[in-house]
Amino acid sequence: MKNRYKILVIEDEVHINNLLCALMDANGYQALAAHSCEEGNLMFASHRPDLVILDLGLPDRDGMQFLEEIRKDSLVPIIVLSARTDEKDKVLALNVGANDYVTKPFGSRELVARVGSALRTASHRAENGMRPGGKFKSRGLIIDYDARYVTIDGEEIRLTQTEYNIVALLSEHAGKMLTYDTIITEIWGYKDAGSTKKLQVNMANIRKKLGAQPGKQNYIINELGVGYRMSEGDDQM
Amino acid sequence: MNGKNIKEKHVEVIKNSLITVGSLVIDFLLCLLIQNIFSEEALVPTIVVLGVFLIAVFTDGYLYGVLASICSVLVLNYAFTFPYFKINFTIPENIISAVIMVAVTLVTCFLTSKIKYQESLKAESEKEKMRANLLRAVSHDLRTPLTTIYGSSSAILENEETLTTEQKRQMLLGIQQDSQWLCRMVENLLSITRLDGSHVKIIKVPTVLDELIDSVLVKFNKHYAEYEVSVDIPDDMIVIPMDPILIEQVMSNLLENAVLHGKGLTQIWLRVFTIRNQAIFEIRDNGCGIAPEKMKNLFNGNYMSEEEATDRQKGNAGIGLSVCATIVRAHGGDITAENSKGGGAIFRFNLDLGEDDEHEESV
Repeated sequence: MKNRYKILVIEDEVHINNLLCALMDANGYQALAAHSCEEGNLMFASHRPDLVILDLGLPDRDGMQFLEEIRKDSLVPIIVLSARTDEKDKVLALNVGANDYVTKPFGSRELVARVGSALRTASHRAENGMRPGGKFKSRGLIIDYDARYVTIDGEEIRLTQTEYNIVALLSEHAGKMLTYDTIITEIWGYKDAGSTKKLQVNMANIRKKLGAQPGKQNYIINELGVGYRMSEGDDQM
Repeated sequence: MNGKNIKEKHVEVIKNSLITVGSLVIDFLLCLLIQNIFSEEALVPTIVVLGVFLIAVFTDGYLYGVLASICSVLVLNYAFTFPYFKINFTIPENIISAVIMVAVTLVTCFLTSKIKYQESLKAESEKEKMRANLLRAVSHDLRTPLTTIYGSSSAILENEETLTTEQKRQMLLGIQQDSQWLCRMVENLLSITRLDGSHVKIIKVPTVLDELIDSVLVKFNKHYAEYEVSVDIPDDMIVIPMDPILIEQVMSNLLENAVLHGKGLTQIWLRVFTIRNQAIFEIRDNGCGIAPEKMKNLFNGNYMSEEEATDRQKGNAGIGLSVCATIVRAHGGDITAENSKGGGAIFRFNLDLGEDDEHEESV
């Protein structure tokens, strides 16, 4: 176990910090504990962790500020811990560069899954990027990026230009939550009063074409008030 | 918010002015008519007094009533009393009738304002009562799971050696379940604080029905995978202005209540349909239904009868439902409960589909 992923946990509540570190250790990661932004910064510089779990309410500085600072020169995956009702904070953190968020209180299984997913997404992106001839595969769904061709269980799914662009964008970031704003700027290049509505209409059509059923395991997962996430590809698992 | 207040004020001013002017015009026309038919003068002042009285009752504050009475005095003096078509306050009875008229108006305005004030006080105290009820219920209900959590964890820590693995597992399970229950309780309370304070307006965001239902069911399946929820929603994309987090809470509470309290339940139906400008949400189960004696106090948080006070499960239902009611009403909708003929409970609530005017700041 030499090459264990290093996970930096920045959380000021001692109990939660202990829990997070124990959980990471138990799941084969190497946990590093920090209890403030200051300490987190030092640890980050000296240990170069593979992933950061960041609580937004830290005593010395705003976690959001810390997030921005790290993002200036590092693409390390960052998972933010936040309270349920603060969708605004979640959206802001994701827009600033967090890869994912986990809502407090969380179950251990969920957190471990998110950490695994964020690590895989990061390495997947590093290896493949948007290479030509690339394909995305997930439970019968195949996206052929060169041919701009989407199939489910071999059957062609006819998408409009915009719909395809959205699906492709989500799949390139499979496993990562993309906010409405991110998707809108990526697809249309600008945001105006009608953008959200446009996105909602397109997403509704995509869901229908991909045969989504509410509450079932769908390809695209929606998070109310935050954004959408493509479930992870088969080769990421 | 501020712009809205100013707008509301404008509407109020216009409404009050219309009432005042309209009533005065009708009043005077009536006087003219009566004077022409009966050629009798005693009726005219009484009708004018009645008019002023009504204006004072139906407008807000003193301003409109006093203006109307002054106006009436002048018109009465000018058109309906001797000397006709002249303002003349030298005759003593004219002065006295003017004073009486203004006095009637002032007294009426005073009484009306007082009644309105008392009504708002009463509504406020209703709210206070509900809040106190909720607080009492919550603090009571919190004690039980905390006992489990505190007791079990210290038992495990202090008797690590002597407890069997199975015993420890049971205790840990108890801790997990009771803390999950606490989480749900706290989320309900947070929802209430999110719309606490009487003047906080809900920020409605256009929400796609599909996405709402999907989100609700994903969360529901996490805890209660063994229950099947059949969904029946319109094929078209439906966008409803709402606070999605709060409505999600309402639906989760209703689904969870079905599972926790609908004894013998095997199936839950979730249906949403639109009628005119309303989206109707319907959650139906085939469990034991709602006891008739509970029906009355289902939504007002007043569920705690004495013998039930120790039943934690029921307590949670009471809080959950009063939270549902608070949220739905804050959205301008209504929530109802009934027992279906085939057995089981039906909960319905409705939301406006109308275009909202506040979503620009959304997302």
